[in-house]
Amino acid sequence: MMNDSGSKRRDWVKNVAIVFLSVMLILTFFSNTIMNYSLPEVATQYVMPGSITAKIRGTGTVESSNPYNIQVNETRRVESVLVRSGDTVKKGDVLFILADKESNELKAAEEALDALMLDFELQILSGSISSSVVSNVQSGRTSTVAEYQSRIVAAEAEIDKWKKEIAEIEVAISQLQALQSQLSVSRPDTKEAEAKLAEAQAAYNLVADPVNAAQVEIDSWKAEIEKNQKLIEEHDAKTNGYVSGGDFINNISQEEYNTAGVLIENYTERINRKRQELLEWNPNYEAELVRLKEEVDKAQTNLTNDQNYIVNSSNAVSVQLSNWNLELSDKNKKLAEANQAKTQLLSDIASQLNLEKKMEKIHEQREEVNRLREQAMGAEILAPISGTISSVNVVAGQNTTAGSAIATMQPEGAGYTLSFSVSNEQARKLNPGMEAELVNSWRYDDVVVTLNTIRTDPSNPSSNKLLMFDVKGSVMAGQTLNLSVGNKSANYDLTVPNSAIREDNNGKFILIVESKSSPLGNRYKATRIDVEVMASDDTTSAVKGGLSGYEFVITTSTKPVEAGQLVRLAEN
Amino acid sequence: MKRLRNSLSAGRNILGISTVISMVLFFLLYSVSSVLSNSLDTQQMAERWSKEKDVAQISCFFSSDAGVSVDSIESFRHTLDTALMEASIVQDSTNAGARLWADAYSAEGKISVKSERATVSADAIGIGGDFFLFHPLQLLYGAYFSGNDYNQDYCILDEDAAWQLFGSNDVAGMMVTIGGTPHVVAGVIHREMGRLSEAAGLDSTVVYVSYSTLDTYGQNYGINHYEIVMPNPVSDYAYNYVKEHIGVPEKQLEVVENSGRFDLLSRFEILAAFGTRPMTGKAIIYPYWENVARGYEDIIALITFLAVLFLMYPTVLLLILFVIYWKHKTWSARTIYLFLRDKWERKMEDVRAKRLRRKAHKDTFDDEEEYI
Repeated sequence: MMNDSGSKRRDWVKNVAIVFLSVMLILTFFSNTIMNYSLPEVATQYVMPGSITAKIRGTGTVESSNPYNIQVNETRRVESVLVRSGDTVKKGDVLFILADKESNELKAAEEALDALMLDFELQILSGSISSSVVSNVQSGRTSTVAEYQSRIVAAEAEIDKWKKEIAEIEVAISQLQALQSQLSVSRPDTKEAEAKLAEAQAAYNLVADPVNAAQVEIDSWKAEIEKNQKLIEEHDAKTNGYVSGGDFINNISQEEYNTAGVLIENYTERINRKRQELLEWNPNYEAELVRLKEEVDKAQTNLTNDQNYIVNSSNAVSVQLSNWNLELSDKNKKLAEANQAKTQLLSDIASQLNLEKKMEKIHEQREEVNRLREQAMGAEILAPISGTISSVNVVAGQNTTAGSAIATMQPEGAGYTLSFSVSNEQARKLNPGMEAELVNSWRYDDVVVTLNTIRTDPSNPSSNKLLMFDVKGSVMAGQTLNLSVGNKSANYDLTVPNSAIREDNNGKFILIVESKSSPLGNRYKATRIDVEVMASDDTTSAVKGGLSGYEFVITTSTKPVEAGQLVRLAEN
Repeated sequence: MKRLRNSLSAGRNILGISTVISMVLFFLLYSVSSVLSNSLDTQQMAERWSKEKDVAQISCFFSSDAGVSVDSIESFRHTLDTALMEASIVQDSTNAGARLWADAYSAEGKISVKSERATVSADAIGIGGDFFLFHPLQLLYGAYFSGNDYNQDYCILDEDAAWQLFGSNDVAGMMVTIGGTPHVVAGVIHREMGRLSEAAGLDSTVVYVSYSTLDTYGQNYGINHYEIVMPNPVSDYAYNYVKEHIGVPEKQLEVVENSGRFDLLSRFEILAAFGTRPMTGKAIIYPYWENVARGYEDIIALITFLAVLFLMYPTVLLLILFVIYWKHKTWSARTIYLFLRDKWERKMEDVRAKRLRRKAHKDTFDDEEEYI
């Protein structure tokens, strides 16, 4: 059993060894093929002398260098367009036919004139303008500024005159008022007279008061007496009337009659007694009264005279003041009238100037209407010069716009221009005078394009330049041309395809293929050569570096290739 | 007992075989992820630009309302030159024309290309700067063009466009018309195919033109992409500089450092962002190459995750075995020391013995000479 397991193990080891060796043999046999397929496949080209034509390409639109715009000055409807872009015409050829109608500008001008007239008439009829002004304006009697100024000056002088008189009157009034106040201040002293009057009055009152009191009593008694006497008389009258045949109606009774008589006697007695009392009191009381009254009157008169002195003086001043005030009022009235006259004058002047301005505008508008009428275009627009129609900007049925071009012409014999923008770096390679080539030049027989100027591109002044070309030949405005311009071809010793140029932080380089023989065949290794690119065009670059020429340079590969890596060449 | 011994032996065999398989799978998956991460040429510009790993490739993607223009890019370039000079970063290559940095930008849009035979309306990418330095598309014919060339009337067609317009692919140098203006076909490229590319937006004919051509004659959706390869003296220098100075608000901008996006750490970051990665508040439409790269990021992250799982199995197993072995070891540091000392002493004895023998032999030889 031990031998069986040992022999099985030995067989197993032997089989594994055989398999392993077989695999190793196969791998070794096909190692080259396997390795080749794992290597990146590269395409190569020779490094060889060549020419580089570095051109700048661009596209621009042909424009007329001296375009002639055919303009109309009014808005008219285009009836028909007889030319197209590109047509060659002679001077006088009919280009457009317009509808035979009054232009919109003339209509507008007439309407404007009517509006001005209406405005003028409305202002005249508004009532705020004096007839003299209207008459002056209508008759053309205009005044100069100097005349207006002199009239204003006269009005102001009138005002000044009234003002001056008013000022004088006011001075007089103020003086009188001052005087009046002085009078009130310097009145004579009436205290003595007043004291005397008071004394006299007191003395009088001393006598008069009892007398008056007694008199009051006496008067009241007298009134009673009269009343009773009247009663008696009435009674007597009634009695006498009956006697003489009248109706007997007596309202007073006998008792009353008797009483009345008694009362009369009583009151009479009282009166007499009172009088007696007065006489006893002062036998000369009446004369005394009279005397005292006179003294009072005298004292009063003295006082009044003193007072009247002041009043009389004040009255005199007042009367004068009153007169002056009347005068002042009159002058103020005249001043107001003068101010009003000046205001009216200014208003009239403004109105007249306004109306004159309106009249002037009316005259101008009338002239404009007349001018438009004279200039009204006919129905045909003729070619003003001989040349080629560059563009037609209207179509039949469209209205023209006053002041804008309805067509543009290229004068006969004049050239064209073309421009496009390039970067500053591109512009540095160009010089005025260089001739440009046309892309697809076989399409153009006689077209010559020359670089005229290089100027700053206004749309991008910091980074671009505008190349301006002169174009001659069978072209027309609006046509697009594709140009290439640059230096003529230059020859270089070492040129490579652009796809061969690589770059890293050590600069640009190319990878060349170096072959080495080996027991298993040729081995190809990629080797780095640092280069400097001197010029390049669309497909090729001229380089300078450690090359002698005719090396195989790697252009493309199936995988990224690094320097030192083995590669295999493409089978073709 | 024998059965137990046999079963233990079978178990060991199974563990051994499964460990080997797991390791093999780990290496396989890791290799695949490494191959995938190096397969995208658009993400390898830093390696192509400098072998010394002192540069970084930074990509910026803008939303449509960011308003990035050629002028703003030009302004950024000027500030970059000044910043590098202030940081004492200068070009020390002996090759004239060597540059410290290179950049490119592009905008997407639509354009109509006309030949004598046909007219094609295609998706267009208007390029500026050294776009094809960053995007070395597979050229079938012709060459790339650059936004820095003197003429900007070039275009690159894909195979479909070339076939429709001319009926052939070998059409480099022929003329087409774009917007009534003749343009030169600089080259024909092979358009990437595949599920990922089509999902990324490369599902129809595409034409590469200059940005000025797209802006003038086509429908321009606006510059949505800018990328640069520049010196990166310290970690994140280039990333931070571009992010701070590009002049676009953060809400309208996404900045990516392409150089390290497939690193191991980046892969784990993507795994950590699982679930939230598709979420974004920015209205940015990525160009197709960025969509492809993002797809690759997800795939590589997943592969890395699986590789780690396969690595964990043998690692844990080895750890367990080590622990068991350590617990049952029969040696110690002293025994090792004694063993080594013993070895050393024996060696020294051998050397001494050899020396003695040589000496004895030499004495004998000298005696014989004297005798002669």
